[in-house]
Amino acid sequence: MTEGSNYDYLFKVVLIGDSGVGKSYVSLAFLSRFTRNEFNLESKSTIGVEFATRSINVDGKTVKAQIWDTAGQERYRAITSAYYRGAVGALLVYDIAKHATYVNVTRWLKELRDHADSNIVIMLVGNKSDLKHLRAVPTDEAKAFSTENGLSFIETSALDASNVEGAFQTILTDIYRIVSAKSLESSSTNIEPPTQGISVTAPEPADKGGKCC
Amino acid sequence: MRERSIRSNRKHKFIECLSNRDISINELRKLAWAGIPPELRPMAWQVLLGYLPLASESRTSTLARKRDEYQSMVEATFARGKEGLDQPIWHQIEIDVPRTRPGVQLWMFETTQRCLERILYVWAIRHPASGYVQGINDLVTPFFQVFMSAYIDTDPESFDPGLLPKSVVDAIEADSFWCLSRLLDGIQDNYIFAQPGIQRSVRRMQELVGRIDAPLAAHLESEHVEFMQFAFRWMNCLLMREISVQNTIRMWDTYLAEGTDAFSQFHLYVCCAFLVKWSDKLKQMDFQGVIMFLQSLPTQDWGDHDIEMLLSEAFLLNSIWHNAQSHFGGK
Repeated sequence: MTEGSNYDYLFKVVLIGDSGVGKSYVSLAFLSRFTRNEFNLESKSTIGVEFATRSINVDGKTVKAQIWDTAGQERYRAITSAYYRGAVGALLVYDIAKHATYVNVTRWLKELRDHADSNIVIMLVGNKSDLKHLRAVPTDEAKAFSTENGLSFIETSALDASNVEGAFQTILTDIYRIVSAKSLESSSTNIEPPTQGISVTAPEPADKGGKCC
Repeated sequence: MRERSIRSNRKHKFIECLSNRDISINELRKLAWAGIPPELRPMAWQVLLGYLPLASESRTSTLARKRDEYQSMVEATFARGKEGLDQPIWHQIEIDVPRTRPGVQLWMFETTQRCLERILYVWAIRHPASGYVQGINDLVTPFFQVFMSAYIDTDPESFDPGLLPKSVVDAIEADSFWCLSRLLDGIQDNYIFAQPGIQRSVRRMQELVGRIDAPLAAHLESEHVEFMQFAFRWMNCLLMREISVQNTIRMWDTYLAEGTDAFSQFHLYVCCAFLVKWSDKLKQMDFQGVIMFLQSLPTQDWGDHDIEMLLSEAFLLNSIWHNAQSHFGGK
């Protein structure tokens, strides 16, 4: 509508992670939709999914990010997994001041393996980096975990918007690289914006070989 | 002038109905469908929900008993302090209480927040199949606000219940708890594992819209808009994220008049009417436009009249399609 269809690529990115880690604020900070003052106000919890979009420039191309901000509570899992369809990127957010939200990252990864495209690009995001005095998850530990699991990693503070732009830049650039490399491989076939589900061919033997790293 | 006399006449009928030694529930329902006068709403809601007995002689004793019962549940539940609580449930409630109607003074006060916490937690542990699910916090707010209004003369949204005597706050809290419980009894399927109630309602809604407004349904399909993407929230929070609390309160007058299963059955038709209302606009929009529009609908200025229009449209749809549903339900 407003932004029209003036983009070269459309990438669907899901925001996932435990309830209360600040997913919606990360999304808002990226959209620059709030100022520091408004931050004092708590926002309502996300129910189901909230949708947002913003375009950025990568290698001279306009990449439009379609962001699906999901509800974090366990009970919603059965529904939210439907939102992973067609997603090429995932920001998996935890709260650096709440260790339990970091422990649950493993469960979220499994969730993605079970429901998302196996090629999905995942970035681990330690949010609330402004809460230095309350830090419960060491940066090095999260970094090592990310390397082990083939994820990129960044710490952000949606409060002062630090690194939020960087997080999206990085993941969108990573996706762009993969997609444009693929398009070279497969020569003439056009890169279509991800729309519908991943077509499943014949049943594969044993597991799907969760290739997320 | 004429409108005022109709209103006072209606109010008169309400008072008459509620003053009967044995309230006629059918008469009360008939009256309540078109909206309840604010002063009579606390009592009318409690009667419609079956919380307050129809027979006047047992009302005082029933209320006292239910309030005591709730009080002892609270005491037993919190007897061992926070360590004795189910941590995942408590944690979720603690996160959500400050996120309940943020910006509205009433919900920022300490007293209100502690009441809300207890109501949600006690309800959650007594309903282990669902526990606390986000959005249930929203559903407490109309009850609390309406019941508090019986004790004050000012706008409840800016009133600090901490200023009321403790016994009054306890009564408001207990009444809100029991009435919430009754409302949720009718829609528990919405909140249990995999939320089958919501899945069913969203599916039915899609089916119905296909019949009520085929061009809109076709447009949404061609834009790859899935009903689950927007209607999930409409079911989970009973449209409370889409309309104001004032609107919700007026809507619940009618829902309660319809009976407690209205929160799943009649609500479905309200949602259909609500979507179809924006049909002309939606048909001009692409995927992104549709989703963005539906997640922040222009209902800020809605008053009773708009809600009443919506309710009558839903009533009409209900009477046309409800029986017909069995014809296509199986296909």
